Amino acid sequence: MNGYRTTIAIVATWLGAAGFGIAEGRGAEPVDFERQILPLLYNRCFSCHSEKQAEPKAGLLLDSAEGLKADGVINVAKPDESEMLIRVSLPHSDESLMPPLKGGGQPLNEAERALLRRWIAEGAQTQDWRRFDHREPAVEYDRKPLGRTEVPRLAREMDAIVQKFHRANEGAKDGADQSSLNPAIDDATFVRRIYLDVVGRIPSYEESQTFLEDTSPDKRARLIDRLLASEGYVSHMFQWKADQLRVLTRGFPGQPGYKYDEWVKESIRSGMAYDEFVRRLVTADGYLWENGAVGFYQRDLGMPFDHMSNMVRIFLGTRLECAQCHDHPFEPITQADFYQLTAYTYGVSNLYSAAGYSTDNVPQWPELQKKLDAMDAPKGLRDFVSVTVAPLKRLTKDTPHGLKYPDHAPTAETRRGKPVDCRTPFGDEAPATVDNRREVLAAWMTSPRNPRFTRNIVNRLFRRVMGIGLIEPVDSLSPVNRPQQAELLNYLTQTMADLRYDERALLAVLLNSKLYQSECDREEPEPGEPFAMRGPLLRRLSAEQIWDSLLTLLVEGLDERKPRFNDRGMLEGSYLERLTKMSASEVLDRSKVVMEHHAARRAHSLELEQQRIALKQARDSGDKEAYAKLHKQFALVNDAFERYSLSLGMGGGEAPKETDRRWAGLPPSWLRAAELPTPVALGHFLRQFGQSDRREIDAFNKNPNITHSLAMMNGELTEAIVDEHSYLRAGLRNLDEGERIAVIYQAILVRRPTSDELAHVKQLFAESGTPEADLIWALVNSPEFLFLQ
Amino acid sequence: MLNLQCEHNRRVFVQAFAQMTLGVRLLGLRGEAYGASPAVKSTGKPAARTRAKNVIFLYMRGGMSHIDTFDPKPGREEMAGVQSIATSAPGIEVSEWFPRTARQMHQVALVRSMTSTQGVHERGNYLAHTSYFQTPTITHPALGAWTLKRLGSGNPLLPGNILINGSPQHPGAGYMESHLAPLPIVDPAAGLQNSAAPAGVREFDFARRTKFAELLNRPFLERTPHRAAAAYDKIHTKAVELMRSKDLKAFDIAQENAATRAAYGDSTFGQGCLLARRLIEHGVRYVEVEDDQNWDTHNDQLVQMKQMTPAADQSFAALLSDLHERGLLESTLVVMATEFGRTPKMNEVTSGRGHHPAAFTWWLAGGGIKGGFVYGKSDAAGDRVAESPVEMPDLNATIAMALGIDLEQTETSPSGRPFTVADKGRPVMPLFA
Repeated sequence: MNGYRTTIAIVATWLGAAGFGIAEGRGAEPVDFERQILPLLYNRCFSCHSEKQAEPKAGLLLDSAEGLKADGVINVAKPDESEMLIRVSLPHSDESLMPPLKGGGQPLNEAERALLRRWIAEGAQTQDWRRFDHREPAVEYDRKPLGRTEVPRLAREMDAIVQKFHRANEGAKDGADQSSLNPAIDDATFVRRIYLDVVGRIPSYEESQTFLEDTSPDKRARLIDRLLASEGYVSHMFQWKADQLRVLTRGFPGQPGYKYDEWVKESIRSGMAYDEFVRRLVTADGYLWENGAVGFYQRDLGMPFDHMSNMVRIFLGTRLECAQCHDHPFEPITQADFYQLTAYTYGVSNLYSAAGYSTDNVPQWPELQKKLDAMDAPKGLRDFVSVTVAPLKRLTKDTPHGLKYPDHAPTAETRRGKPVDCRTPFGDEAPATVDNRREVLAAWMTSPRNPRFTRNIVNRLFRRVMGIGLIEPVDSLSPVNRPQQAELLNYLTQTMADLRYDERALLAVLLNSKLYQSECDREEPEPGEPFAMRGPLLRRLSAEQIWDSLLTLLVEGLDERKPRFNDRGMLEGSYLERLTKMSASEVLDRSKVVMEHHAARRAHSLELEQQRIALKQARDSGDKEAYAKLHKQFALVNDAFERYSLSLGMGGGEAPKETDRRWAGLPPSWLRAAELPTPVALGHFLRQFGQSDRREIDAFNKNPNITHSLAMMNGELTEAIVDEHSYLRAGLRNLDEGERIAVIYQAILVRRPTSDELAHVKQLFAESGTPEADLIWALVNSPEFLFLQ
Repeated sequence: MLNLQCEHNRRVFVQAFAQMTLGVRLLGLRGEAYGASPAVKSTGKPAARTRAKNVIFLYMRGGMSHIDTFDPKPGREEMAGVQSIATSAPGIEVSEWFPRTARQMHQVALVRSMTSTQGVHERGNYLAHTSYFQTPTITHPALGAWTLKRLGSGNPLLPGNILINGSPQHPGAGYMESHLAPLPIVDPAAGLQNSAAPAGVREFDFARRTKFAELLNRPFLERTPHRAAAAYDKIHTKAVELMRSKDLKAFDIAQENAATRAAYGDSTFGQGCLLARRLIEHGVRYVEVEDDQNWDTHNDQLVQMKQMTPAADQSFAALLSDLHERGLLESTLVVMATEFGRTPKMNEVTSGRGHHPAAFTWWLAGGGIKGGFVYGKSDAAGDRVAESPVEMPDLNATIAMALGIDLEQTETSPSGRPFTVADKGRPVMPLFA
């Protein structure tokens, strides 16, 4: 499912570098060592030939100006005789090829080799550069906070930086065009785009109409603010965070997994600052129903290394997983670096052995054992005591558990089997003790001084609304990966810190910019060509955006509609809170109830089987009356059992009936995608369109598939929208033909029909018996509906 | 920021065009052709006779008890009175709950020495499908995706990998390209989802709508050179073609005669098996059918087995005899798998059996595998493996070898990690006829 979304993360920097090389190679500019050559060395050589290795291969250190001068490595007089150039130019079948294929290295391509050769021929200058600082320095930061009122100014400043970039770029090319952005978008395009980007769905007819009729000059800025404050924003933002955090409502057997889901939503709703959000996740402890954030530590199968890989990938834009088993083959990150970082969270109970799921975490356990022994309790009761307290066994907390280096290669010999000290891989040093290591980690990670934390979230938010990150892929941050628009990224990074990590405020800056409010780039960038954004990128809507947009046509006030659950019984939050506080004898009483219910449920499931057989016999015999009678009789029995279950607090029963008149008669599952239990079943509309199964980070895809077309043409949502009683069509009654056409266009595509389109539609209305349905069907099935533009 | 995204989009584009027909494609990402004959490198190992062309993988969700099914322990108290019966294979007995399958045992090879360390459903299920341990940083492809990637589809018009009644946790194509993911069939009796216009939409209504939509869409497509837009237009056209094509019938079990339908029965699993046979017949490479009955029998083992085994027994037997009668069994490898067995000792409180990965049974039939054969042995109680242990990667390697897939060919994930089909499992050579 991953597809090629994460494609070539490993070669991020070199592609960027080569892009510059090719683009600028045409001119007479000499090669810029730090910008063009250093990234090549970093990704292709430093893994083996740098001071990071205890024993650099062949004793060669390519991470300093001194080291590059080693005998024969570079031959300025005869570039083609440079060992470096020879070794990277060998055929792939040659074992002496550098970087070695066997270790997973990526050979240099032709453009890169040419660049390297040119650099050597120009004298292999390293300018002021002396040696590579493997400890990427911390960012100095000491600025006053800014409030949301500053957003308009910040957006203007952002635009000025974009303009400056384009002017420099254009100037370098031919010095002609000064208008660097695509034309500004009209209100209709804006309102569709802003709803999709902020709320995650198209606007309803009423919503777009309200905006279009508004004549005030600042109506765009006001709409942006209103949408950022809406419940729809929570749903859409949740989707984005849930894909990164891999939130599953059904991913925690025997635990109230939905509490993690609820916690993330509430953190968005309440406007929790992003740094605070990350801090709470990283330092989370307690039971899941007390603190939903501990879901973060319960989601990675209790694997501390994988958990750390995922954490740095989503919060620091860095991929470390290679270094779990061996030194990273494409970056100078050693296994020791990874171990030292993992040491910060290694004591978390859920992340090693069985401490996260143990009777040691059940406060009543010792007392319970005494009571059970005293009464010489049978195994059955003991089993049910264990079942009853099972949710209490899963507790996230800090323990003194420490990490050791593995006993075998490839760790440096001096470290084998020794305890691992906590150490950060870049930015500030952050020494920690067993008692404070998670707090120290969280403080280091979320500080504005961290060279990757703020950059990462800004780059990700930029990508979210513009369709492409300033650095791509978003998890390839490194000291040498410099974006083409470095000034813009630096500015936004500082702005995010100034705004004290208010995500809504940063989004407001982006959304109020001219760059955002320009027509989109309709063509995707070409490989190997520099690309300067002139507007957001045209892109397919996500699975959730498509689902939510279709439902906008079916459900009035969609964002407000919430699921109605039946009683969750032993996984109900209020019950679990009570359970936590119960005395041992109360737990014992409760266990007896659980045992009684279990016996009754067993008996009832046998009864159900008898019912099934009896009903089948009645049906086969053809006696409809007898069948109906049995059916009625069994329904009573089954209802009684449900009531009995509920009375014991064991859950079940039916979900409460819909009481809101707007939604009477609508299927209960017609909810925002963010409200549906996850993972969603295979074959569900959302999965067909590539929704993530949340097994891995961002495991969604947007690849077209024929099942999409089938679902759009023949699926239940389209059928329901086309139906004459649908929410959309109900709003068309009492309108004349022209008005109906206009409303249908605006409701689905959020624009007026063109005169050509109108001519086709008029003809349809003249010829078809069901013109309205035909038109709605055609617009829902248009590619325009599936794309954000 | 520039080139990566472009490279990414280029790949998406290549992928998009290639999978226009229901995820089928003829060219690999690097341009290699996927032909009908798999390229097997000579590795110096004993090469199995490649007889299997297709696979039907039957997955018993929840962990099916081994001693109550295909590894009975006659006379032992663990059997709780369940008898074993003779089968069409001399010397091989199965539980009394599989009388019909017993008559097919001359075609089946039982592997009674399956063993694993994964006693949690999700992890056992994952290992059974991918041969790798589950980790949170990568999803490995299931065997169906590997098979399609290596062998291509046998029918260019139909998808090569189909999953009937799959659970949402199925690993699908993992890190591989999404077009290799199994096409899910939710209800085998209903066939391919949404492949017919809703009731009430007549054919000429549909034709009018499609034609009208095409007319309206042209301007958008003309001013949008984005490849994804063009790709959507293409798949839309293909979808309309498919709705009208004869190949759609491969998904329709109503085409079968009454006798055949009766043989498979009306259980969802039985209908899934029948659909699997139809799909294989139409050249679909890999079909998995999950039994959606809950084999996780923690309570009332005997009662639950009595409820579930008739449908399973009927479906197994119908599938094997049907494939045999149609001459398809030679080229079709049928595998029955599950995530683990169940504790031979009955839980005295719940009268059920717990999870038991230490010893369990899978079986294979057809596709060049010996019939009437038992490989490996569990101990007297069915508690531990007594002879010739086989792990899930070993058995998956056996399937891959039967199909002629090179077990050593490395596949690199997008994050640059090397993987092989069945994770270096050793194929069980004695299973080959």
